[in-house]
This record gives sequence, C-alpha cells and structure tokens, in this order.
Amino acid sequence: MLEVRDLRFAYSRRSEPVLRGVSLSLADGEVGIVLGRNGSGKTTLFSNILGINSPSSGSITFDGTDILKLSRRERAKMIAYVPQDIRFGALTVFDSVLMGRVARFGLTAGEEDREAARRVLEDVGLTELAERTVTELSGGERQKVAIARALAQEPRLLVLDEPTGNLDIANERLILEEARKLARSRGIGVLSSLHDLNRALGFGDRLFFIKDGIVKYDCRRGDVTADMINDVFGGRVRMIDFEGEKIVIDEKITEEET
Amino acid sequence: MRIRQAHTGRRKAAVIIILAAAVVVLAFLCLFAGSSGMTISDCFAALAKKGTAAQNRIIWNIRIPRVIAAIIAGAGLSVSGLVMQTTLSNTMASPSTLGVSNAAVFGANLSLIAFAGGYLSVGHNASDYSFGGNPFATSAVAFVFALLSVLLILGLCRVRAFSPGVVVLAGIAMGSVWTAGTTILQFYATDVGLSAAVIWSFGDLGRATYATDLIMLAVVAVGTVFFALMSWRYNALLSGDAAARTMGVNVDRLRFFSLLLASMITAVCVSFLGIIGFVGIICPHTIKKLIGQDHRFSTPASLLAGSLLLLLADTFARSVGHGSALPVGAITTLLGAPFFVAVILAGRRES
Repeated sequence: MLEVRDLRFAYSRRSEPVLRGVSLSLADGEVGIVLGRNGSGKTTLFSNILGINSPSSGSITFDGTDILKLSRRERAKMIAYVPQDIRFGALTVFDSVLMGRVARFGLTAGEEDREAARRVLEDVGLTELAERTVTELSGGERQKVAIARALAQEPRLLVLDEPTGNLDIANERLILEEARKLARSRGIGVLSSLHDLNRALGFGDRLFFIKDGIVKYDCRRGDVTADMINDVFGGRVRMIDFEGEKIVIDEKITEEET
Repeated sequence: MRIRQAHTGRRKAAVIIILAAAVVVLAFLCLFAGSSGMTISDCFAALAKKGTAAQNRIIWNIRIPRVIAAIIAGAGLSVSGLVMQTTLSNTMASPSTLGVSNAAVFGANLSLIAFAGGYLSVGHNASDYSFGGNPFATSAVAFVFALLSVLLILGLCRVRAFSPGVVVLAGIAMGSVWTAGTTILQFYATDVGLSAAVIWSFGDLGRATYATDLIMLAVVAVGTVFFALMSWRYNALLSGDAAARTMGVNVDRLRFFSLLLASMITAVCVSFLGIIGFVGIICPHTIKKLIGQDHRFSTPASLLAGSLLLLLADTFARSVGHGSALPVGAITTLLGAPFFVAVILAGRRES
C-alpha cells in the first residue's frame, strides 16, 4: 500500500512549487491513474516517489516503510519505473531486461537473475526477441522491453509515465492490458499517467486529478463526472453513457470559434 | 537477418578473441621492425639475450618498453574514451574532454620553457634551477597540472548538480584556459624552448621506459578493474540518468569516480608520452558498431582495440620515418580517421 501525504516540492528555492501538498493512497493490486494538464506536476510527483528528486516536505510510505529514508538500491527493489522517453543502449533484449536486476545482484548477474529475466520475458511475450538488439525494435516492442525490465526488478509498485505515448491503438491496448494483468496477478500497485481520458476511465481503478499542485479529486472510476474533468482541464467535455459505459466527448470545434 | 544477429554473444566473443590475438602478433612484429637493420634471427637471439650487446640493448631497453607503452597507453586511452562517452552520454566525449591534455601540455611547457632555460630573459627567470632539463620532471609537472585541472572541474561540478552537459562545458572552458596559458608561455619562449615544447606535445612512444610503463600500468589497471566492475551500472546509465537512478544506481557517484579515473589514465599517458589523439574516439566507436554497447564486452574489446591501433600506428611511424620515428599521435589519426569514417558510413547504410 502506497501512501503519499502532503507532498511538497519545488525545483529550486526561487521557483514556484510544483507540488503543494499532494496526498494519495493506492492499494496493492490496484491501478491508479494520475490525470492533469501538461505541466501540472504528474512527472514531478513520480520523480519524488522514485527518488529522482527529493520533496521539500511530506511523506511517502510503502506498507509503513518510509521510502524517503531508503537507499537507492533498497528503493529500486520496491519501486520500478517506465519513463516517458524510453532509451536503451545497444544491448540485447535479454540483457536489457536482466539489467533491471542490477539493484539485486550488484556487480555480476547470477543464474537466479537470468532465470528471473527469462520468466519475465515469457510473461510479456518477448521470448522470441530475446537475442535481438533493443535499439532495432519498434516503438511498441521497446515499450514492452521497458516494462519487462521494470518487472525484473520484482517491484511492489510499478510507476508508468505516459506508457502509451508513441503507440498505436492496438499496442496501447496491449500494454495497458498487460499492466492491469500484472497488477492483479502479482498484487503490485500500478501508478500511471495517461493523457487519454477514455483510456483512463477504462483502465484505472482509481483516478487522481491533479490541479494547482494538489490532488483535487480522488475517486473510483465510476464516480468521475464531466464537471471534475472540466474543472481540472478547463475544457468543455460532456459525458455520455454508451452501453453502460461512460464516455468522455469533447465539444465540437465549431466554425464560429475558428 | 544480418542485423538481428549483429550483437549475439558468439560474435562478441569472436571479436574479442581476434583482437587479443592480433595484439599479441603485432606486439612481436613490432619488436622485430625497426631501423637498426637487425634480422629476425638477430631479434630472437637478442630476445634470449644472446645477441651482441648492442642488439640486446635495442630489444630490451628500447623496443620492449616501447611496445609495452603502446599496449598500455592505447588500451588506457581507448577505454577511458569509452567510459567518458557513456558517463557523459555524449558520443563526442573523448579522454581529454575535461581538458586534461591541455593542462598537461601547459605543465610541460612551464617546465621546459620557464624552468629549463627556454625563456627569453627579462631579468628574473627560474632557469637557474634547470629543473625542466630532467624529462621525468617535465612529466611530473605535466601530470600535476593535469590532475589539478581534473580535480578543479570535478570539484566545481560537485558544487552544482552533476549534469553531463555542465561537465562537458566546464571541460571545454578549462581546456581553453590552459591553452591560453600555454600560448602566453610560448610567446616568451626562446626558439629552442619553443621547439622543445612543441616537440614534447607530439605523442612519442620513444620516451617510454620500464619505470614509466609501470606507472602507466598501475593507473590503467586500477581504472580498468573499476570500469569492468561497473559494467552493469554503465549499461543502466545508457538508459538515461533518471532510469538508472530508479534501477538503484547512484548516478552522481558513478559519474564522479568514472570521470576521475578516466581522466587520471589520460593524464598519466599524456604526461609521459605527449598527446596521442583520437584513439579514445575511434576505438570505442568502432567497437560499439561491431558488438554493441554492452559494457561487459565493449570494455575489454575497447582495451584491445586501443592497444592494436597504437601498436599499428607506432610500427608504421617507425617504418616510414627513415631512422627517426614520426610522431605517433599524428599517425593514429591518419590511420584511424579514414577507417573510422568507413565504419560510420557502413553503419548508416544498415539502419
């Protein structure tokens, strides 16, 4: 169980704080989606949880452990990350996944690490590509490798930053399905940002809307309203029911306005 | 299919084995090549210390230390280039990105011009100490300035965040300061002092002795062991700072020690041998094209490739120089650059 309490952060003493008291909690096996406008602080929130940046105040605990006090390696065993801009060196897919275990093995990978990497590759369906060089794969395949690498860390929490950024609609679905399956089957928490509201409604168990540096709305997916979305994004969307499912549609861009 | 197979384990192992074999063969060829008119059997006799006194001296006191210097310095400069490129995530990074070479050249100029009488007298000068007359002292002064430069830069970068871009820019600035200092020194130098300083800066393996080889070996060995142990961390760093941090890598500490050791290797090589350019760029890049970026393989392969290039260049430099070897630093670039361009262009076509 991840608990973030009253998290505050600014990039420098002079600049405006990005996070002004963010609080949220996420149970094991749950998928939480963080939503907000560009620059609202989603990536900043993640970077604080991941220890890339340190908050100026507030607490982040996982199952009661204060993760701000953990060493990098201890934290890496608990939380894994799939960044928005995925980069790899020219390594094989297998080695790129094995690399995820560096916090566990330290200097050289042992047989158990290789075994773990093989299992993860199997789980995400990458076994066939194991000996290929990552840099020569397609965007969707690379995304899967990044997720596999994160899973090889055997984390309790998986943080995904815009995991569908460059993917086509089929790959997008595949990645999100995979993530949810993993959350359920391994009981790990998944915290993700997503720009597509309908995807967020279909994928997340809980939605955290960030505005003005705080979580303004924190709700189950069934409780999301058009007013919340319009408040957070300053948009003009409506919500309609379609065969029992809520769908967000944006107001048409009319000729008069353009 | 060809691309798919490009970086498989077998290929990596093959490249490393071929390179190692080539280094061994070339090291012996290099022993036998020279301007003294010794035949191969003379060389073998001298190797067994059964030649004439002069032949024994040529092999044991001149050629062997020189070949060892080529192997060590080539390996050191190449691996230090590889580490610089990874830790600064910059393909243009080289062993002297932090301005180490410029600092060493300044130190050597100071020693040769100000302390060895190469100074246009304007009243007081330090030439009475004739300190710079000792080549070892010149190397020592060069090394002190190189080290000073490295520590200054790493210290400065430690104060602010350790971002690669900042390190590279600080290195360029620092290097320019030393070059400016060198220019001013040379402005006041006598003709003799100036030519001594300029010739010093040409890389020359002929300056190597067993003592200098041993010192270089110690520094390169410490660096290489560290680089090899950090292979997986470097691999993680190839995914970017943020990703590496979330994999548990202490990026700032890794960067600090990597830059320090890589620069120390460069400092010691330049101080003893002068500037041997481009090895640290050509070799790692060629290796990365051949076997990929996995540091478990690219580190040993770069070491060997560096030794190979410098041995080749030195053999060539001694063969065409009619008795006096051409500056090896220029030859590495002359031999390496066309090959390098070919490798890069071949890579373009594939992708």
